Amino acid sequence: MNTIALVGNPNSGKTTLFNALTGSNQHVGNWPGVTVEKKEGKFKFNGNTYNVVDLPGTYSLGAFSEDEMVARDFILKGNPDVVINVVDATNIERNLYLTSQLLEMGVKVIVVLNMIDEAEAKNIQFGIKTLSKKLGVPVVTTAASKRKGIKELIEEIVRVIDGEMDLKPSISYGDKIDREIKTIKKLLSGKTLEYPPRWIAIKLIEGDQYVHDLVSENKALSSDSEFGDVLSAVKENIEDNELEIVNRRYEFVNDVTRVSVVRPEEAVKTVTDKVDKILIHKYFGLPIFILIMFVLFQLTFAVGEDLLGGLMAAAVDAVGHAIEVFLVNINSPAWIIAFVSEGIIGGIGAIIEFIPLIVVLYMLIGILEDSGYMARAAYIMDNIMRKLGLHGKTFISMIVGFGCNVPGVMATRTLESKKDRMIAILINPFMSCGAKLLIYLVFIAAFFPNGGGLILFLIYFIGILVALLVGKIFSRTLFKGETTDFIMELPPYRKPVLRNVLRNMWDNVSGFLKRAGTVIFAVVTVLWIMAVLPAGVEPYGAESILGRIGLFIAPIFKPAGFGTWQAAVGLFSGIAAKEAVVTTLGMVYAGVGEGTELISAIQGAFTPLTSVSFMVMTLLYTPCVATIATIKKETNSVKWAIFAMVYTFAIGWTMAVLVFQTGRLLGFS
Amino acid sequence: MLKELLVVIKESSYISKSNISKKLNISEELIEEGFEQLIRMGYIKEDVRGIKCDVGCSSCPYSKSCDKMPIKTIMITEKGERLLAK
Ligand SMILES: Nc1nc2c(ncn2[C@@H]2O[C@H](COP(=O)(O)OP(=O)(O)OP(=O)(O)O)[C@@H](O)[C@H]2O)c(=O)[nH]1
Ligand SMILES: [Mg+2]
Repeated sequence: MNTIALVGNPNSGKTTLFNALTGSNQHVGNWPGVTVEKKEGKFKFNGNTYNVVDLPGTYSLGAFSEDEMVARDFILKGNPDVVINVVDATNIERNLYLTSQLLEMGVKVIVVLNMIDEAEAKNIQFGIKTLSKKLGVPVVTTAASKRKGIKELIEEIVRVIDGEMDLKPSISYGDKIDREIKTIKKLLSGKTLEYPPRWIAIKLIEGDQYVHDLVSENKALSSDSEFGDVLSAVKENIEDNELEIVNRRYEFVNDVTRVSVVRPEEAVKTVTDKVDKILIHKYFGLPIFILIMFVLFQLTFAVGEDLLGGLMAAAVDAVGHAIEVFLVNINSPAWIIAFVSEGIIGGIGAIIEFIPLIVVLYMLIGILEDSGYMARAAYIMDNIMRKLGLHGKTFISMIVGFGCNVPGVMATRTLESKKDRMIAILINPFMSCGAKLLIYLVFIAAFFPNGGGLILFLIYFIGILVALLVGKIFSRTLFKGETTDFIMELPPYRKPVLRNVLRNMWDNVSGFLKRAGTVIFAVVTVLWIMAVLPAGVEPYGAESILGRIGLFIAPIFKPAGFGTWQAAVGLFSGIAAKEAVVTTLGMVYAGVGEGTELISAIQGAFTPLTSVSFMVMTLLYTPCVATIATIKKETNSVKWAIFAMVYTFAIGWTMAVLVFQTGRLLGFS
Repeated sequence: MLKELLVVIKESSYISKSNISKKLNISEELIEEGFEQLIRMGYIKEDVRGIKCDVGCSSCPYSKSCDKMPIKTIMITEKGERLLAK
């Protein structure tokens, strides 16, 4: 009985082909690694029975994994009469690497180009005759899942088993290695070994540990001093030899595919090159990046606020009102009504109103990311950061920080050197996260309803600028050391996929909602209690616990123009979570005014100038506890966490004072 | 091919696989393979995609932002530099 072995990369369709050949029903799955042990089956043709063995999928035939060992042992020790190499035609370049290793083994091979249906759908064309000639083995095309080409394959199998096949090695590894192979092969001849001598020779030169162990256990060989000399000479050069052998295999694959595979020209790629000439241009790149960000914020406002914002505010008002009416109707105690309408609706409602803006902003960022532009932006920034003595990868963690500083700080893990990493961690809080966005949105609504895009753009810009400057100062003073080099990959541009964009947006918005329901809710509750106690004082007044805390802190902020106790408690609670700045203001001003109470209350309590200095303060000052905790964990040091808290506060305060005082001198109010 | 690829990586200011493919006159699919092989053999290193936060992730509202790394970067390892020096 003849034996046929099926080998190939994971997920290339070996089991499907096995089932098609044997009529059995082995498990097939559209992911790699479905078959983990070898499976056997049989088929009959012209009165002869053939034994078929389905082997686990592997990318290579080294000794890296159990699967590779199972596959190569069966091929070399199981004496198959022919080895069917199942190749995924849509991925032929990758698959042929395994083929090149099969050809080293001195066994009869048939290459099956499977999934030919998909390759045709992708418009990939093959010169089958050339392919077969170049590989030196028969090539058959199949679509195993459609049972196409099976009959032709069986006929080829029979032909190959019955006929002779020229097993002359088809790959040369260069003169030096070829000579070494010959020498070793000669020394091995006559010794009893489990594997073919030429294959052992290649594996020894390549540095295959398993084969090295095998040889050292062989008594006849270890007593052969000539072999010992050759072996130790080989061992000296294993790193180079391995590279050379692998390299030759790839060159073989290249040589084969160059003349036998034609892929459709992808228009995107030529476009990518052209577009990149402008977008990452030495001088135009940065202005274009800035312009794109500017447009992004303008669009956010045009769509998120002007188009959708009003609707959301109206909805929040309506729902809030309905809940209040409901609570009154069921005769709830006054304190519950107060808690719900002023604490929850006044506080959390204030942030819910801005969801449309957040949705739009993160969708736009998602589009930039998915189209491939974000990588260009990082590349442009990389150049600038290098000039400032900062590591370019810092900007990648900064991009992540735009969503939230917690993952932003985590993202610095990709920085190798301690110096680069510490700087990246410490400046990440200056990246304006999604929660801070809310604060700006409230103040923009109050004072700059027509210039929202510009203000937001400037704020983010100041954040980046401060981060870069502070980073530069740190790299000069606090941290010394080498920076490691790296190269960024610029993927081809592509049309953004709606699904990815939506998912990116949802990742951020859902995080936001989750926080509103948990952290923010808890903060609001605690603050509300502090705002109505001790009993007897006017709720939300200066006499409440909250008010007294505020009054105590407020003088610090006088020079920055917002020395009210409300602003002070807002900033204070912002350390718990940045959204809490808004919810706190929403709550302490909930009794004031009517309609969109918070906005009108803020218009009364701030001026355009102090609103700007307040926004700058919130942009830069002490990060939230979650971020501080992450900094502590990532730097493994309480000292640095405290440092991060204090120095960001100092910078935020200084900048806010600077803005306010300069603004006043210039005559703004 | 692998060594040439490594040299090109070293000399580039950024990696565009289609550019490298043109430069070396090797199909892009094979260039892609070459990158993976260089990584497997330890000549270059690629940033692990995504940041793994090891603790308390399920409860973190922003855990999803942790799984993604918007930009891929590549570094030449010591072994790679040694080869280039030859
Ligand atoms: N379109 C198409 N799909 C195929 C073809 N052959 C197999 N498939 C599909 O490819 C997937 C993988 O097939 P398997 O037979 O499990 O692949 P395998 O090589 O055994 O995979 P491992 O056991 O993991 O190594 C399945 O979803 C098959 O339905 C084909 O010729 N054309
Ligand atoms: Mg299988």
